[in-house]
Amino acid sequence: MITRIGALAGAAGVMLYGSMIGASVAIYDAGAVRVSVHEKSADGKSINLVLPAVVVPMGLGFVPEEELRKASREMQPWLPVILEASQALADSPDGVLVEVVSSEEHVNIAKRGGSLYVDVDDSDATVHVSFPVKTVAVVASKLATIEPDGEKAAERSHASSSAPGV
Amino acid sequence: MKRTLPGLVIMILASAVLAAAADRWLHIRVDEAGPHGERVRVNIPMEVAEKVLPAIHTEDLHNGKVKVNEAEFDGVDLRVLLEAVRTTKDNEFVTVESDHENLRVAKAGGNLLIQVRENKGHAKNTEQVEKVDISVPLQVVEALLAGGKDELDLLGAIRALSAYGDVTLVTVQDESSKVRIWVDSQNASE
Repeated sequence: MITRIGALAGAAGVMLYGSMIGASVAIYDAGAVRVSVHEKSADGKSINLVLPAVVVPMGLGFVPEEELRKASREMQPWLPVILEASQALADSPDGVLVEVVSSEEHVNIAKRGGSLYVDVDDSDATVHVSFPVKTVAVVASKLATIEPDGEKAAERSHASSSAPGV
Repeated sequence: MKRTLPGLVIMILASAVLAAAADRWLHIRVDEAGPHGERVRVNIPMEVAEKVLPAIHTEDLHNGKVKVNEAEFDGVDLRVLLEAVRTTKDNEFVTVESDHENLRVAKAGGNLLIQVRENKGHAKNTEQVEKVDISVPLQVVEALLAGGKDELDLLGAIRALSAYGDVTLVTVQDESSKVRIWVDSQNASE
């Protein structure tokens, strides 16, 4: 009996351990969203934020519906472009996409290893933002499913397909 | 081993050629004059431009083709003009010389060349002369005009440009700035 319980506990342990490794690999594969802002004034604030990219779609669930509808309404015409661009960028070779150097600021946008890196250094602050390019597609896809009038496109599509005579 | 080696070499060469064709970049470089002049570098993978362009839909741009008004060409049939240019030998087609501006349109080495020299203020100093040089491979011009009569096929032109070798398309130089637009296989500006 004790042997059987031990075997079951061992199997459960292996499954749990395997799941944790699987989850870790998935999180690692998805990459991270990093935001850091350092203000240069004497009482300047510093913000550092690192989030696994997999939580971004989940985070959208906490954004107020009206804000999502507003974002969807404003971005609707450009969502197909954003989707195509993010997919094409994800597949494209690494390199510096934009660099602006002047006496007031230095801006650098680069794509490296599946992520987009945005660095801005001006007289007020240094800002660094990086995120996996595919995260943009995920967010754009999510916004594309939200109808500006409040009804989700997927729900509307389901309702119309199940309507009589359709 | 002796049998598989030639096949392997062919596969590696084919992959290298395909990779080279895929990794084409359009570069834009702007350098403002002076010690505090702004420096701008834009590097766009051609495959990104190829994929994004058809997704853009505006009043005049659909599926990578931009609508143009016939009147914008002053009644000139661009296709007929291009065909005439394409089939003739390298030559100078247009030269306009005036006090403040010289214009030259020519065909040389399979490229359509447009050269403008604008003398601002009739200056003798060559630094004050605005120089514009545009060089477009004829294949690209052909692709641009391959669409309907009242449209320009931008997507076709980009594809033709991707398939073309390294080329400098535009250089503009005056006393305040230098601009260069070109295509090559490097992922960074020179």
